[in-house]
Amino acid sequence: MEKTEFIALVMPFKDKLYRLAKRILVSNDEAEDAVQEVFLKLWSGKKNIENYKNPEAFAITMTKNYCLDRLKSKQASNLKIVHSNYQTSENVEKNIEANDGVEMVFKIMETLPEQQRIVLQLRDVEQFEFSEIAQMLESNETAIRVTLSRARKAVRDAMIKNYKYGIG
Amino acid sequence: MESVKIKQLLEAYFEGTTSISEEKMLQDYFNNEVVADDLVQYKPLFVGLKAAKAERSTKTFNLPEQSKPKIIKTWWYGIAAMLVVAFGVGSFFFSQPQYSQEEKEALAAFEQSKKAMLLLSENLNKGTEQLSLVGQFGRTKDKIFE
Repeated sequence: MEKTEFIALVMPFKDKLYRLAKRILVSNDEAEDAVQEVFLKLWSGKKNIENYKNPEAFAITMTKNYCLDRLKSKQASNLKIVHSNYQTSENVEKNIEANDGVEMVFKIMETLPEQQRIVLQLRDVEQFEFSEIAQMLESNETAIRVTLSRARKAVRDAMIKNYKYGIG
Repeated sequence: MESVKIKQLLEAYFEGTTSISEEKMLQDYFNNEVVADDLVQYKPLFVGLKAAKAERSTKTFNLPEQSKPKIIKTWWYGIAAMLVVAFGVGSFFFSQPQYSQEEKEALAAFEQSKKAMLLLSENLNKGTEQLSLVGQFGRTKDKIFE
């Protein structure tokens, strides 16, 4: 496969990979590095990527696995992933209420177990079908729904708590 | 959309039983319509999830260029190495005759001098033989004339 062909194939889902990586690793830099790594792996195995019916799903699974491994190794070496995410101009432009909501959702998601984070991201942000998510996470649809329900409830409860305190 | 219907969808949503199109309805309601007072606390969630989709990677990714040129380069190195070895072997063979001719001459000279020395030593040995006879004579003379 030529480089241009490969790029045309992977660029459409580059941002999805980035968003998933950021959900798991929290840090922007870590997420960018993870996507770079995944691209390198996909590129070096480029003869194989043609064989996959769904390169996007394959790439997402690869990203998920890489990020979870990274998280484990960081935890094993007792390092915390410290992020230096700064407020960008895009955030400031947004409606303040919405901005709080966005940041709030991210912050709450950070407190969830990785599996819930991933399912919530893939369903509520990327809008994948349950069958697709089950394939990417090597699980079944029922388990995915259960995880999703738990994640949504956890976020809801935390947000309502915050909201109530916010109104005062 | 009526808030009754929305409440039903919300309940299903938190149980994880809604379809994607139903979820889109909820998204649409909380992002674009005026939200009922008793549902307002859910708004930040749906607004946040929608905005999360706007996250973008800002880094440009590089793919290594070297994969093909690397293979070609190493191939050339192999050819070059073979040529150098062939050249070395060839020049060795070319220079071989001169060397052996010198060597032959040297060997010949060596043989000559060896012969000469052998002759010399033979003659010396003959000489010493005679001398030993003289010695023997002297000893015998001493025995008799004591």
